[in-house]
Amino acid sequence: MAQIPGTDMGKPRGTHHVVTASLTKTGTPIYFTSQGGWSFDLQQAGLFETPAERDQKVEAASRDEAEACDIYTISVSVENGVIDPLSAREEIRAKGPTVALRRPDAGFSQKGA
Amino acid sequence: MYQYDDYDQAIVDERARQFKGQVERRMSGEITELEFKPLRLQNGLYMQLHAYMLRIAIPYGLLSAQQMRMQAHIARKYDRGYGHFTTRQNIQFNWPKLEDVPSILADLASVQMQAIQTSGNCIRNTTSDPFAGVAKDELEDPRPYCELIRQWSTFHPEFAYLPRKFKIAVTGTPGEDRAAVRFHDIGVRIIENAQGERGFEILAGGGLGRTPVIAKVVREFLPYEHLLSYLESILRVYNRYGRRDNKYKARIKILVNETGIEKFREQVEEEWELMKDGALKLTRTELARVAKYFVPPSYENISSSENSLAAATLSPNREFGRWVANNVRGHRQAGYSIVVLSLKHPKIPPGDVSDTQMDAIADLSERYGFGRIVVTHTQDLVLPDVKTSELPALFAELQKLDMATPNFERVTDIICCPGLDYCALANARSIPVAAEISKRFEDIDYLDDIGEVSVKISGCINACGHHHIGNIGILGIDKSGEEAYQLLLGGDSGNEASIGVILGPAMPEAKVVDAVESVLRCYLKLRESAEERFIDAYRRLGPSPFKEAVYANN
Repeated sequence: MAQIPGTDMGKPRGTHHVVTASLTKTGTPIYFTSQGGWSFDLQQAGLFETPAERDQKVEAASRDEAEACDIYTISVSVENGVIDPLSAREEIRAKGPTVALRRPDAGFSQKGA
Repeated sequence: MYQYDDYDQAIVDERARQFKGQVERRMSGEITELEFKPLRLQNGLYMQLHAYMLRIAIPYGLLSAQQMRMQAHIARKYDRGYGHFTTRQNIQFNWPKLEDVPSILADLASVQMQAIQTSGNCIRNTTSDPFAGVAKDELEDPRPYCELIRQWSTFHPEFAYLPRKFKIAVTGTPGEDRAAVRFHDIGVRIIENAQGERGFEILAGGGLGRTPVIAKVVREFLPYEHLLSYLESILRVYNRYGRRDNKYKARIKILVNETGIEKFREQVEEEWELMKDGALKLTRTELARVAKYFVPPSYENISSSENSLAAATLSPNREFGRWVANNVRGHRQAGYSIVVLSLKHPKIPPGDVSDTQMDAIADLSERYGFGRIVVTHTQDLVLPDVKTSELPALFAELQKLDMATPNFERVTDIICCPGLDYCALANARSIPVAAEISKRFEDIDYLDDIGEVSVKISGCINACGHHHIGNIGILGIDKSGEEAYQLLLGGDSGNEASIGVILGPAMPEAKVVDAVESVLRCYLKLRESAEERFIDAYRRLGPSPFKEAVYANN
């Protein structure tokens, strides 16, 4: 598989990649879906493998700049249909803090609420 | 404490209105993120891992009860019910929505607070001794000078785009540095010269981050009236010669090191000669204008404070006595004490306080003092003016709030950055490591046996958790996408400033707390007496026995 420069800050390469960003309204992590929208759920992310696909996805994701910001791609592995980020950073970003919040929190599960 | 004049108030009100318009334009798509980012950063609004983060300035760490209640209100109304006190005596909220931030800034302005210059390459919040104004060993209250620096540096037109961020700390206690002034871009120490004249020792080029450096003395004695002109001279030299081609070499510490302190001093003095008798020269009247806000409150005349504080440590209530011994310090006013509220609890990230706790602390500051609260750079809080006779009642109140842990300056009084759980820059988590250490060393008898030792944890090389200056420092690193941790020993932020040295290879999270325990067991075994502090034993023994203790079985 081709190496994709600029992905995931030099972390190990996975079998696939996804486009991620932050929701402008809240800063919540979001993932670009294969339908061309955004989801809070990493498992809904559209997967791609090549630099050409990367460029196309990033360009499409960048069209609504008011909604999503700080767009970049991350490396993931896919096993039994489950998307798993390779880095601890992206795993925590996808799942939320590993420590209890002071108010354990309906808010976090509602993500962009 | 200082009260805004009309000019101060107009600035923060106007800034809140400006930011409202900027946010509206960003959300409508009128301006891009690239255009918006510098605007939000100038108002302390960062983008973190899961959400925006708003950093609010607490000048020299001093809050009124009303201002603390406003933090509780912000936590409750706009965030998730808590705030996080930082190592720069500020407070951060981890979950604000973009559309709410202008309202937060307006609410802050209503209690004379703001988030201006809490980010960006400008002069940041000036920090100071958390015991300022009440410490027994203080030569002079540093807060009037901190306030003068705040007024001089806020919106300073020349220093809005420095090569890099710039941090100043001031201490008024020559004998003990509780403000880590040697690890700031500029450190100011109030001193007396041989003739008994009051002035400042000026240090520059200190800092942590990826290149930790102890500040060097630029001027051994500066008369008080020249403080601002001298700071301006240093900033001008830095602004002119500091590197802008590489952000990792842009801090003043790099400039001072590359230029050499003698040459740097010459440049500063040359600049200063041109301006020292100009508009920035402080007059007694100007100093008095600011100092009047920091005059001591109306203390009652109470005698024999020393005896009653000493007696309190021997209370039959052992828990209370231990708390007094560890978390209460002598006050310059007879009959009063300085009380440290521990924000370190095994189940709570260091520095986090809930909205209800903040409201309760505000109430306590009024019932047991004059409505003042101070944030420490070690992420605890201080009630500075508690009657010694009222310590038992306050202790009982703090127990109900989970803020009476007697661990000030003990192993579990951990400084800890937000780490990878929140921070976009971090490589590894730090809060869970702090929690594990707190659990492992929960036994108060063991804590007291170990005595004074500082543990500081950073989730990356940027060192927000001050790992370089912990007696025991822990640095989170990234090893091929996995979290790993390095142990450093021998750091000290005080008058005998030193930078910790990496003990050996990095280790996985599961081994970090065992390693800390091995270090402490080694110390207990090898110390000359219970009076020999960890840092003193380390300096005597060097790293070898500790390295052996940690790595022998690995």
